[in-house]
Amino acid sequence: MASLFRLIVRTQMTRGRVVALAAVAAIGILIGFAVGRSDIADPARAAYGFVASYGLGLLVPITALVFGSAALGDPAEDATLVYLWLRPVARWKIVVASELAALAVAVPFGVVPTAVAAAATGQGADLVLGATLASLVAVAAYSTLFLGLGLLVRRALAWGLVYVLIWEGFVARSGTAAARLSILVYARSLLAHVAHAAPPRLAAAVPTSVITPLAVAAVALVLTTSALRRVDVK
Amino acid sequence: MTPVVEVDGLSKWFGPVVALSEVSFTLERGVTAILGPNGAGKSTLLRVLCGLTAPSRGSVRVLGMTPRRDLALNGRIGIVPQQEALFDSLTARAFVSLAAELEHVAGPGAAAARALETVDLDPGDDRPLRTYSKGMRQRVKVAQALVSDPEVVVLDEPLEGLDPRQRVRMISLFRDLGAAGRTVLVSSHVLDEVERFGSRVLVIAQGRLAAEGDFHAIRELMDDRPHRLRVGATDSRALAADLLAEGIVVGAWVQTPTTVIVDTVDAAAFRRALPRVARDAGVRLTEIVPLDDDLESVFRYLVGRR
Repeated sequence: MASLFRLIVRTQMTRGRVVALAAVAAIGILIGFAVGRSDIADPARAAYGFVASYGLGLLVPITALVFGSAALGDPAEDATLVYLWLRPVARWKIVVASELAALAVAVPFGVVPTAVAAAATGQGADLVLGATLASLVAVAAYSTLFLGLGLLVRRALAWGLVYVLIWEGFVARSGTAAARLSILVYARSLLAHVAHAAPPRLAAAVPTSVITPLAVAAVALVLTTSALRRVDVK
Repeated sequence: MTPVVEVDGLSKWFGPVVALSEVSFTLERGVTAILGPNGAGKSTLLRVLCGLTAPSRGSVRVLGMTPRRDLALNGRIGIVPQQEALFDSLTARAFVSLAAELEHVAGPGAAAARALETVDLDPGDDRPLRTYSKGMRQRVKVAQALVSDPEVVVLDEPLEGLDPRQRVRMISLFRDLGAAGRTVLVSSHVLDEVERFGSRVLVIAQGRLAAEGDFHAIRELMDDRPHRLRVGATDSRALAADLLAEGIVVGAWVQTPTTVIVDTVDAAAFRRALPRVARDAGVRLTEIVPLDDDLESVFRYLVGRR
């Protein structure tokens, strides 16, 4: 599995992706500094809002989308999947190696900059811890969801963006039922609890905020494994 | 003895498109060539045999196992897919080593080096695969398929992109594998290429098994079919009448005063007799154009006679 992991890390880290996501991460950190040094009435609330919207709402899901959908999506799309699929290797091992590879790059490009940006706001350790925990939970759920999406759907990046920007950005704010299908709502609930901030509208309880995204990740792994068994390989 | 490959009533369709229709055959050890024009269903057949796609109907057994369902079968099949894509950031050795490792081959690095040497590539070459020519990439694909010494080797158009010297080398390699007791299945759309495999042939056309057997029997079948030619002459009507009268052609259709289409069952005899008939009729010939010598028409003929 280690060799699969190394291969997938290598194939998904194209120069374009690394440069683009490093730029988005750097911008986040710079904004964090700016928020920390700005003269505003409620800096704690501004810092929390920035981490919740830019870090959890944009940087983490986009990073997870780019690398998660590429981990199996790239080989499925460019027809190199055959060199992994037609081996006597259990399908779950391929899926887990792909997920670990997606996490291995999504964490430094998504979670770490979010935590650094939170620190850059100067609003204390709780916000940094909250940003770290919430983005870790979120990246686990997003990357497994997008891993399966990349395998099953062409133009997974576009569909993932629809989920992140349209569903989570607008639809999930409309009511409780839609909010329960949003990773972002759970991540923001966790952030608010750990950072001692006012909970967001439609917030979930803390155990739910942790367990639900991780359960989503586990179910997505199982479904992706099943899909990999049945997929038509080019 | 149980055949290595058993295909029974195999059909495969993609939406409304029928790629394979009621294909049945068995394969033993040795080299078998799958011959057919582009789009005939050769690649789909190979993909089904390897389990890369499921049959829509019918059954496939390879080494007594069902592709897709029996994971252990994957370790006993080596495939050279038609598509060129490789993990381009890797070196040839890293790519073939990875294949060996996933196939649980002991000493994957050394096995990869041996496999690359078998296809005349340098295991020490540290350039990434993206810099390789099409022929070199093709040989890397063959190396990764052979690195685990599989019992069944499936090669989809493996000679594409190779220079003549490498073609000879690869054909010899495939024949050696067959002679060593491996079951080698090679697809091609080039008749002369298949002839050099010196093998059993399955002819696939329009998704159906059009013919099967020894290459020479297939070749004779192809040569015995009626041939259609266009003959240009100064008086096509007179020429057509004399050709029919002498029984040299089985059909003649005057297209224009100077063009006639003829059908003959013996192209060689026709070519010998035509100048004499034309001279006797006082007609000057301007052209003779075979209308169905391409492989497509050969396949159409074979499908039509089943």
